[in-house]
Amino acid sequence: MSHKRILSALTRRGFLAAASTLIGSGLLPGIATRVHAADKVIRIGFLAPLTGPVAAWGKPGLDGCQIWAEGINAAGGITIDGESHTVEFVGYDNEYDPAKARTGATKLIREDEVKFIMMLGGDTWPGVQPVADRTGMLFSTLLPSDLSPETTTLIAPAEVHPIYNVTGVEWLAENKPDLKTAVMCAQDDALGLPSVATYLAAFEAAGIEMQSEPLLFDPATTDFAPVVTKLISGNPDIVCLDTCYSDYVHPICEQLFQQGYKGQIISCTADFYDQIIEKTSKEFMEGMIFQFPDFDDPALNAEGINFKDPNKFFEVYNERHPGEWGAVSWEYASIMDLWKAGAEKAGSVEPDAVLAAMKDGGTGLHAFGEAKWWGKDLFGIDNALVGNWPVVVIEDGKAVIKAMKSIPDWYDKHGELLKKHMTAYNQMWNQRG
Amino acid sequence: MIELLAQTGLNALYAASYISLVAVGLVLIFGVMGVINFAHGELFMVGAYTVVALYADLQMPFLVAITFGLIFVGLLGLVMERSMFRPLRDNPLGGLVASIGFLMILQALASIGFGVRMEHIPPVTQEVIVFSEKVRLPLPRLFVMVAAVVLLGALWYFLRRTRFGWALRASAQDPEAAALQGISINQTARIAMFIGAGLAGVAGALTAPLVSVNPHMGHSVIVTAFIVIIVGGVGSLEGAVLASVVYAFVHTVVTTFWDGVIADIVGLSLMLLVLIVKPTGLFGTAERA
Repeated sequence: MSHKRILSALTRRGFLAAASTLIGSGLLPGIATRVHAADKVIRIGFLAPLTGPVAAWGKPGLDGCQIWAEGINAAGGITIDGESHTVEFVGYDNEYDPAKARTGATKLIREDEVKFIMMLGGDTWPGVQPVADRTGMLFSTLLPSDLSPETTTLIAPAEVHPIYNVTGVEWLAENKPDLKTAVMCAQDDALGLPSVATYLAAFEAAGIEMQSEPLLFDPATTDFAPVVTKLISGNPDIVCLDTCYSDYVHPICEQLFQQGYKGQIISCTADFYDQIIEKTSKEFMEGMIFQFPDFDDPALNAEGINFKDPNKFFEVYNERHPGEWGAVSWEYASIMDLWKAGAEKAGSVEPDAVLAAMKDGGTGLHAFGEAKWWGKDLFGIDNALVGNWPVVVIEDGKAVIKAMKSIPDWYDKHGELLKKHMTAYNQMWNQRG
Repeated sequence: MIELLAQTGLNALYAASYISLVAVGLVLIFGVMGVINFAHGELFMVGAYTVVALYADLQMPFLVAITFGLIFVGLLGLVMERSMFRPLRDNPLGGLVASIGFLMILQALASIGFGVRMEHIPPVTQEVIVFSEKVRLPLPRLFVMVAAVVLLGALWYFLRRTRFGWALRASAQDPEAAALQGISINQTARIAMFIGAGLAGVAGALTAPLVSVNPHMGHSVIVTAFIVIIVGGVGSLEGAVLASVVYAFVHTVVTTFWDGVIADIVGLSLMLLVLIVKPTGLFGTAERA
């Protein structure tokens, strides 16, 4: 009887009302708190390959950003219009796939309400560009070859890949003038081809002769013995590894060692070079030139370097992610330095206001010194921040910065050469599909 | 030029060795069970990760790691047979779809267990056989060649000279007739799966110190294996071995004298040519095709 009474009292409407009251009374304060807290959080999107073969140029960057955010938040966060905000990174793994990158960009903007999205770029940018055009969201890329007159909300403020590769070749020509012949290999993709054109221009400017056409290989290649056999068949003075991914640089170096090569190696990156040394030898790797320093390098403590306490950053990074320091570990964090300065200057986190503040005056503080917004000649738009770039050489098993060389100075002298080779490889902004 | 050709020949022999191990395993599974195992590349990947775990991380001897790779991946094959391929035996597409799902699971497990980055495996040895200044054969690559000859030779002996081998071949030729003769289809399927998966595993383990080991490394291997199988004749073990040698030589020579992208195009063109001229492949029969 009592059972029936309870059931009759518990009508559907009554049940819903009671449940709503219960849920509402329990959860509303929580929701209100979260909304209040969210008002003081700025979310930044991190849309890069976190898995797959290109993950080495995504995941370490996100790890670096987390360290950057902890430092900024502990120091009071980002001040916008007199109010302090903490920073939170929202990662999305695009697996270096344009379609997934597009989905990720939409999700980050609509669901996570991010105010800025950092990308690796390259093959993934064409997937994202329609989203950028539609929403006006500010994006950054590590690859300025993504830039064109249409990409008005895309900036390349950290690295001007592959243009900085000219500094390594210039330094090589100045310091080892007896090396006169070179060969090159690269994967046939959006990262490899503009880099091929850049190295060709740099070698030509330096008076170094190419022994053969650059050897392109499929990104799915796993056995590099045939590639290396061809490369060294003419006894070149220099083997250039272009912008090969670390998955390629390691086996290519190992093959060069095993097939008896004894000349100079130059590469855009040499991520995890200690592992290459273990597979070859310290003597074999001595003198290898590349472009990405370890941040414990004393040269980074010099005046004019705009990266806060690089040695400490490197130490913390290696404590948390031992053996994972790579080319991009610091780059996305350095982009955040620029974005933070822009947002604080603008007093707003809205994309257009931050972009205007960042580009105000035509110059910016790049990690390696003051730089200028540049690129109209090459990319059709001045959205790349260009200045000095380090030349790094392996000495006694350790990466050492040997020089900081100016990219604009090189371009002023040899810009036409670069445009010639970029055009030959269909890499000028008006040639890219 | 002679030296360049000799080095190219050695490079091609190495490539033919590991490709044939993978392709023969795939053919064996298809021949006996009628299943296209899309997860075969991931079995290769698991074999490589056993070397990462045992040799690189736990610092066990390389030979132990290789042996474990063969057995562990063979056992993984038995799990696949029992849990996926046997229940789906009457569904022609079921096994294929299930293997695609399984490859994703294996990739995810590798990512969770080892991370997404390329694994570093210390060199087993840096010894190189120097024939001349420009003709060299690193010992780890020689290991792969010798292992492939020994394992494929053992497989040939097993299939031609033992009762289990005869049963396997009978099941591949006509499963119903074999069953009527008292041959257990389940038993032959288990043997085929263990051997086929084990060969992929040992190929991955042997080549692990020479390639970039990552969760997605199986993709390019399975694509090559499929090309080889189509060229050799679907279901033909001899065809798989011969096609591995042909494909490896063509791909290596074209890479060395032109470039790697053209080599891929030539490799695929070779497959198309065989499909046009002899659709059953070099050693295939109309029934198998």
